[in-house]
Amino acid sequence: MKKPLLSLMNINKYYGDFQALKDISFDIYQGEFLTLLGPSGCGKTTLLRCIAGLEEINSGDILLNGQSIKDLAPNKRNINTVFQNYALFPHLNVYDNIAYGPRVKKSMTEEQLKIEVQRVLELVQMIDYEKRMPDQLSGGQRQRIAIARALINQPAILLLDEPLGALDLKLRKHMQTELSQLQKKTGTTFVYVTHDQDEALNMSDRIIVIDQGVIQQLGSPREIYNNPKNLFVTEFIGDRNILEVEVLETGTDATKVKLGQNELTVTNSVESDKIQAGGLGILAVHKDKMQVSCDPQPNSIKAEVVSVHYAGSQIRIDVQVADLSLTVVEYRTACPCKEGDQVYLTWIDGGAILLPLEGQVNQEERGLA
Amino acid sequence: MKSKTNRFGIFYLSLFFVILYLPILSVVLYSFNASPSTAKWTGFTLDWYRQLFRDRVIGEAFAISIQVAILTAIFSAVLGTAAAMVSLMVTTKMKQTIQRMMLLPLLVPEVALGVSLLIFFNALKLPFGHLTLVLSHSLFCVPYVYIMVLLRLQEIDRSIIESARDLGATKWQAFYTIILPLIMPSIVTSSLLAIAMSLDDVVISTYMSGPTSTTLPVHIFSMMRVGVTPKVNALCTLILVGTFFIIGLNQYISKISKNRGLSK
Repeated sequence: MKKPLLSLMNINKYYGDFQALKDISFDIYQGEFLTLLGPSGCGKTTLLRCIAGLEEINSGDILLNGQSIKDLAPNKRNINTVFQNYALFPHLNVYDNIAYGPRVKKSMTEEQLKIEVQRVLELVQMIDYEKRMPDQLSGGQRQRIAIARALINQPAILLLDEPLGALDLKLRKHMQTELSQLQKKTGTTFVYVTHDQDEALNMSDRIIVIDQGVIQQLGSPREIYNNPKNLFVTEFIGDRNILEVEVLETGTDATKVKLGQNELTVTNSVESDKIQAGGLGILAVHKDKMQVSCDPQPNSIKAEVVSVHYAGSQIRIDVQVADLSLTVVEYRTACPCKEGDQVYLTWIDGGAILLPLEGQVNQEERGLA
Repeated sequence: MKSKTNRFGIFYLSLFFVILYLPILSVVLYSFNASPSTAKWTGFTLDWYRQLFRDRVIGEAFAISIQVAILTAIFSAVLGTAAAMVSLMVTTKMKQTIQRMMLLPLLVPEVALGVSLLIFFNALKLPFGHLTLVLSHSLFCVPYVYIMVLLRLQEIDRSIIESARDLGATKWQAFYTIILPLIMPSIVTSSLLAIAMSLDDVVISTYMSGPTSTTLPVHIFSMMRVGVTPKVNALCTLILVGTFFIIGLNQYISKISKNRGLSK
């Protein structure tokens, strides 16, 4: 059994009456890239700030290498943060910004410091920028300096709070690659906060999906993407059609469900064993894993085409089944359908998952809250 | 149509500024007038300035004014900055209360303020002189420092301070190395303002001056009882030059600090 680097144990955090974090527990292991993913206001940044020591927790404990750090001030924790807006010191140049940590901690001589600053500048590919002031740098460059400034302290964990949020799309893609490479090169444990599912899926070893201050699911990108555990994760990750179905018959390999007039057999997914016959379930199918056929197909959904949109390489077809709307994204269509046509929808194997409806109840509660 | 209104606007503004600055200009002009009367111009002279520099009483009053002004500036800078720091840490409601309390002394009529200070210091048995002058001047200078420093503090991104703490700085280190350098321009400019206001004060200084600590404005005021002498004109001209210098310095500092700006 691997020993965790950082353990969060039953963390609760309140702002007045509002509970920002509810009983959060998980472990972080040495060298991993862990992402906290969730919509804005879900508590992911609060959680990060609790780990950094910038917020106090109301109950629970945080262990770093087995030692409780919950009562330590941020400067006493061997954890550093890269802030969303970089938070470079505007009155100090790049060199002095990076040298700030070792200088206030008096952990290095000026000669050592010179070597170390060079080392981290090389890591982030910003050599020769030492004398620049922060306002003479572009967003991406500031980002790198902020990372270098944190890395010089050789933290046990580097926390990154939506570090790519302020960059444009192209630079963001580039920095994603660069950050992953940097993480592998330094072997530093990264805890990364984002609301962008692509970023999370691309970069992480593990993802924790958070909503309403509660961990919704924890797993590898593949697990999260292919087998979302509940309705929230299903809706938040990936682009799916989410359909409420009647459950006719459960089985070990597949479940029979009814959608409108269509009877369908769905291969069981991870959560399907929680489904009961006679009840309701959620059928979720990736929009780009569905196919439209003009002729009747086995195990298909009969639908009416509402509209067809051509979007360059892909074709988006909006259809209607009973009173439900679906969207199918195809890259080349076998069926040149048009508005009002009858079509038959199938999905590629493994494209659909079946969930119990209990998530729906939570969803309604969320709506009321 | 538009150019017409424009021309009217320019004319109006010029008139406005002429009326505003003409009296000031006339003081400067008459300080060089050979005739002691302000009724006519008889020729250029520097006599009044020579007389002014020979006047020992004015020299002493000037020295006292400068000492009081500098002490007031230092005292207000420390108090005002501390108050601004505190109001950044407390709740919004508390901050508003502090702000109102701070501004109150500026709204109380100076005459009333002077009388109350007189009674207060008398009760405390403080000897009237430098100390009472500095304390009373600080009363109306601290609010300016407070406001200007607070404005600057509020511009500082909170995450900059958090990031200093996160990188290993103690609260004091974060203050000395990050906050203080960032608010320094505001502290300096507001201290200059405090110097200007202290140098300029007559009403409160009249109450507070002791037998051996008459400030320059108070002395000028007493000189005026005998009538306007050209020497006063010369003195006023020098004060004007000094004031403009301070204002210029002020502008220059805020311009530099803007260039070095707080990046967002």
